[in-house]
This record gives sequence, C-alpha cells and structure tokens, in this order.
Amino acid sequence: MRQREGSPFTGLSTVALKEAADHMTSARIHLVMLLVLLTAIGAVYAAIGQIRDTVSEDAFLFLRLFSTAREPLPSFVAFLGFLLPLVAIALGFDAINGEYNRRTMSRILSQPIYRDGLLTGKFLGGLLVIAICLLTLWLLVTGLGILLLGLPPSGEEVVRGLAFLLASFVYAGVWLAVALVFSTLFRSPATSALATLTVWLLFTVFWPILAPLIAGALAPVDIFDPTTAIARVEVEQVISRLSPNTLYGEMTLALLNPETRSLGLVFAHQLSQALIGAPLPVSESLMLVWPQLACMIAALVVLFTIAYVAFQRQEIRA
Amino acid sequence: MPAHAVFARTPFKSTLTGTLLAVGLCLAPPAAHAQLASDAAGTTAQSPSGLWLTTPYPAFSAPIGEDVTIDLSLANRGLPPQRVALSVEGLPEGWQWQIKGSGKPVAAAIAALDETVDLSLQLTPPENAVGQTVNFTVAARSEDGAMELPLTLTLTETMPAQLTLEPELPALRGTARSTFDFQVEVANDGQEDTVVNLLAEAPPGFQVSFKERYGSQELTSLPLSAGGTKNLEVSVDPPENAEAGQYPVMVQATGGDASARTQLVLDITGRPDLSLSGPGGRLSGEATAGEARSFEFTLENRGTAPARSISFSSSPPSGWEVTFSPERIEEIASGESSSVNVSITPSDQAIAGDYVVSVRANGDGASDSESFRVTVRTSTVWGVVGLGIIAAAVAVLGVAVTRYGRR
Repeated sequence: MRQREGSPFTGLSTVALKEAADHMTSARIHLVMLLVLLTAIGAVYAAIGQIRDTVSEDAFLFLRLFSTAREPLPSFVAFLGFLLPLVAIALGFDAINGEYNRRTMSRILSQPIYRDGLLTGKFLGGLLVIAICLLTLWLLVTGLGILLLGLPPSGEEVVRGLAFLLASFVYAGVWLAVALVFSTLFRSPATSALATLTVWLLFTVFWPILAPLIAGALAPVDIFDPTTAIARVEVEQVISRLSPNTLYGEMTLALLNPETRSLGLVFAHQLSQALIGAPLPVSESLMLVWPQLACMIAALVVLFTIAYVAFQRQEIRA
Repeated sequence: MPAHAVFARTPFKSTLTGTLLAVGLCLAPPAAHAQLASDAAGTTAQSPSGLWLTTPYPAFSAPIGEDVTIDLSLANRGLPPQRVALSVEGLPEGWQWQIKGSGKPVAAAIAALDETVDLSLQLTPPENAVGQTVNFTVAARSEDGAMELPLTLTLTETMPAQLTLEPELPALRGTARSTFDFQVEVANDGQEDTVVNLLAEAPPGFQVSFKERYGSQELTSLPLSAGGTKNLEVSVDPPENAEAGQYPVMVQATGGDASARTQLVLDITGRPDLSLSGPGGRLSGEATAGEARSFEFTLENRGTAPARSISFSSSPPSGWEVTFSPERIEEIASGESSSVNVSITPSDQAIAGDYVVSVRANGDGASDSESFRVTVRTSTVWGVVGLGIIAAAVAVLGVAVTRYGRR
C-alpha cells in the first residue's frame, strides 16, 4: 500500500456544492419539498387558530406553535417526524448507485478526487440541502407566528427553537446516512430505495408495535413481583429507543414542552413536593435531551462509517 | 256589707255634725292625712273607718324651674261613696295649680267603699320664687264636711349636673397585638339632664374608641339623664411596635360645666416575632441532585421581647436531606438578627426541576416558616457519557479512514 498523496478532501466542497445544486434543481426534491412545505404551513396555520381560540396566556407561545395540533391535522412536529425521513431518503437513496447507473462514477474518480472526498461530499451536499430546507421552514413558521400572533419570540423560545432545529437536522441526517448506506450496498436504485423505505416503515409504523412484544419476551412480568414490571418497562424503553423516531419524539417533547422533567420512568417519591408544571431552565432541558442527541449523532457517524467502508471496498470499474 | 261597717255608720250619723278633724291616729301609718271620720279613736281596735286625703311627704323641697308634682290619694274605709270636691288654698300670687286624676284635670273625686283614688297635684311656681317657702292646703269638701291637707314646699336652686367615671378594672395587661377593653360606668349625679362628651388622652399611636357596652357603634357623646348611668366600653388598641411597659390613658367625660376623668393603665408585655428570610432575601436557589448545597438564611427578631431557644425544622421531599448549622439558637435580642446555614442535599434520584422545601424556625412563643424553592440540576456525568459515545463513533470512523483510506 502506498501512502496517499495530497489531501483526501480535495474537491470535497466542489462535490458537495454540485450535489446540493443538483438536488435543488431536481424535480424529485421539488415535489417532496412542496409536500413538506404545504403540510407544515397547514399544520402551523391550524395551530395558530387553535392557540388563538384556547390559550389566554402562555410563557412559551412560540413553542406551542410547533407542538399544538388541531383536528384533523397533526402538529408541525408530528409532520416533521414523519416527513423528514422521506426528504432525507429522497435525497440519498441513489447517491452512489445513481452514479454507477449513469456510468459517471469512473469519470468523476478519474478527476483528482479521492473516494473519501466523493462520499463525504455527497453526504455533506445532502446535509446542506436538508439544513437549508429546515432553516427555511423554521423561519417560515416563526415568521407566521409573529405575523399572526403579533408577538415576538422570547430569548428562551429562540434558544429552544434552535435546539429543536438542530435535533431535526440530526434526525434527518441519520436517515440520509441510512439512505447512503443502502445506495452504497445495492447497485440498483430501486432496491436501495425500497430497502430504505422498509427500514423507515419498520421504525415509523411497526417499531411501536414490536417494542412491547420484544420486551414482553425478554422481560416477562411476574404479577407477584412489581420489580419485574419496572424491568419490563425499562427494557421496552431501551428497545423503543433504538428507533430514531422515538429519540426524535423525546427530544421534541423535552425541548418544546419546558414542563417536561424527565423522559424515562418517574417514581412518585421523585415527585414529592415537586412543583409540577414549573418550566425547566433551558440548560436543564438541553441536559435532558443531550443523551438522545448524542446517540443520534453517534448513529449518524457510525452509519457514515459503514457506507465509507463499503464504498472504499467496492469495485468501481463498471 | 260587713257588720262593723254597719256598726260604724250609726254613730257617724247620730253623733257627728260636721266636725272637722285633722288628727294623727296612732294606728295609722306616719303620714300626713286629712280624715273625715266619726269614731276617731277608742271605739274599736279594728282598722279605722273614714275618708282620708293623704300624701307621703307633706313638707318637701323642689328645684326651681320645673313643675312640682305632688302625689295625693283619697282613701275610703267603711263609708258609702260620696263626692269630694277638691281645691287648693293659700297659694301666693302667681302660682298655678292643677289636680289630675288618671292624667286628666279633675275638680272632684269619688272614692268607692274601701277603695283609694290616686290623684296628683301639679304646681307651677313663678320664675322668681327661689328660696320661698310656701304653705298651702289642699281642701276637700264632701256633703258631710270638709278636710284640709296642709303642705309645705320650699323652692331651692337646682343642683347642676355632676359626672363621675368609674372604671370596673382600671389596669389591664396584654401584648402589643391585643386590644384592651375597659368597662367604665359614667354617672350623672346632678339633677339636670346633660349631654356627655367623651375624650381620651393616649400616648401617640394608641387608638381609643368608646362604645356602648355590648354595642358596636363608636360614640363621641351621649345623653345622660339626671341620676342616670351608662356603661361604656373603652377600647384601646396599642401600636404593634409598642415597647413593653405601662401606658396611662386618661379618659374624660364633660357635660356642661361638669367633667370627670379617670386614668386607665395598659400594661403591655413584649413578645418575640421571628422572621425567616432566604439568602439575599430570595426564596429560591439551585442545587445539584445528590450534592449538598448550603444556603445562608437570616433569622430576624422583629418583636419587642427576646426570642429564646429557637430550633429549626424542615419538611423536605422524600430522600432529601436538610441540615441546619447551628441546629439551635439560644437567644436573639429584640431587633437583632442571626444567620443560619441550611444545607440542602437533593436525593440523588431527584429529577431536574423545581421542588419546594419548607423551612421552619420555632422559638418560645414565636415561629416563622418559609417555602424555599430549589431548582434541581442534574449531574453533568451523562453529558460527558454522551460526548464519549460520539467520540467512540468518530474513533471508529477514524480507524475506517486509516484502514481503507489509502486507495
């Protein structure tokens, strides 16, 4: 093995910006973003109506904008939890195998660009598009809130909103990494898209059903021993937290509802003389979601590593 | 008809020929009377029979300026009813008189057998009659004869109103927060009605109010008839910061020229008053789960007496630990303050957020408690663990890059 010459990141920014530009002009992304935009605006508009009708005074009015639902529409957060993976999958499912199919891979790599740079650039390009979309959405929602509620957000609300933005970004990044892995593993874009959608369906739809079943099998409850019930709940929580959707849901709950004091099991003695309903300081809410966020960042890095290893080992003369 | 009356009637008709007698009988009560009778004495040991015109006080004095009313009674014992014409004789010039029976002016009366008719004689003296002594007679004429009742009236100067104030319990003891209620009787010993004004002289800050006993309305003055009395309640409300000691309150009643005063004494005993306040006057603080945190509370005695043997207690959430240093303060003088360190250790299982810990100081006769709000922060260990997880993932990536990044 010879030592690599030059920086592995040569051409990284070129690849990333080109990838982002390609995405921005592709009809596929336009359609998905239109879907997200319309549902988001609908949800927020409904939430504002609900807030106007029911809330007289609230210290965290802008956070309610994200989390308030009005029948029949789900809340903005629920929409994001459902649609962000779709956006990420649309961005990433043919990132690598698309190049093979268009027979452009060898042409790109004949340029002075390392494989590292190509893969990282593709990933960063997707992340850039997601970041732009999310920031636009966030600003749109906040602007709608200011316009229709007639109030500016407080500093704490801005901090919590930005933390929520970061959490959404990492969540979408995880799904982008999943899509990237499958696009590296499978040569056919249809297969990789189906595989990614399968994982997405598994975690979005079936995981909440599977988690109690698996937990019941792993930790059976003895009705004469209450500690087994606690163990069962804890095992179930651990299993359900394998899903990025659960982690994202917990993060948005803690960030957008400052009254949330704990995301795990809480015993009555821990709440004795506690002031229920008193909001947590921002720093404490961030401490609360930090494990979830750290796990998602770690998962993102590990998934990217898998894609990286798979891509590096691939035969590309095709 | 009783036998003795018949017996008495015969001698009356046969022997009496209009003789007028005014005698005192040994059997009769010691009262002035005019009797028209037949068997004056001696005839019998039975009760006397006849017709009398009497009054309880035949010689008396009356204050000038008012009508004089004299009670008369016409009594008949054992005689048939007969008409008696009434008149007054011997009054000087300028005097007016009127005899009334049952409220109406009358000129004659009939006393039934063994009955008494009550009459009253009303005299209106002239205005300049001070010091005069008037002798006059009330004359009663019946068909059988006439009776005279001599009376003597001396007109005197009226006695002016004279007031007295009599406290039932002139000295009371209590704390600065209690209300002192004195029962005082005001009496008018004179012969004139008057209106009494009530005044009080109290040390500054003391509120004095007058009330009727069992009444709720405050009074400033009250009418008091001659010889009348009234029970008053004098409420004194001392200021809350009054030092321990004795405070005199002068109560004065004035009506016309008369006045009376009496002294009431309030004996105020001091009491301690504890006030607990958190660090810097705040009642909230932050603590980390499982770690002790010390807060300096200030205990102030705002009362008027020293607070003694003060101990501390708290009601923390379960699993929490609260200790006090010092655990006990022997004495805090009035107006002084002392600090106490409260060490609060939240349970290591406490979840983040706000909790209420109530802290209490108990002294002799005084106590105070405060609800202290503790914001629990969770330990940052898990933050470091999260960073460690990310670092591990990045390390894996690094290994992958060094292993496969050479193509």
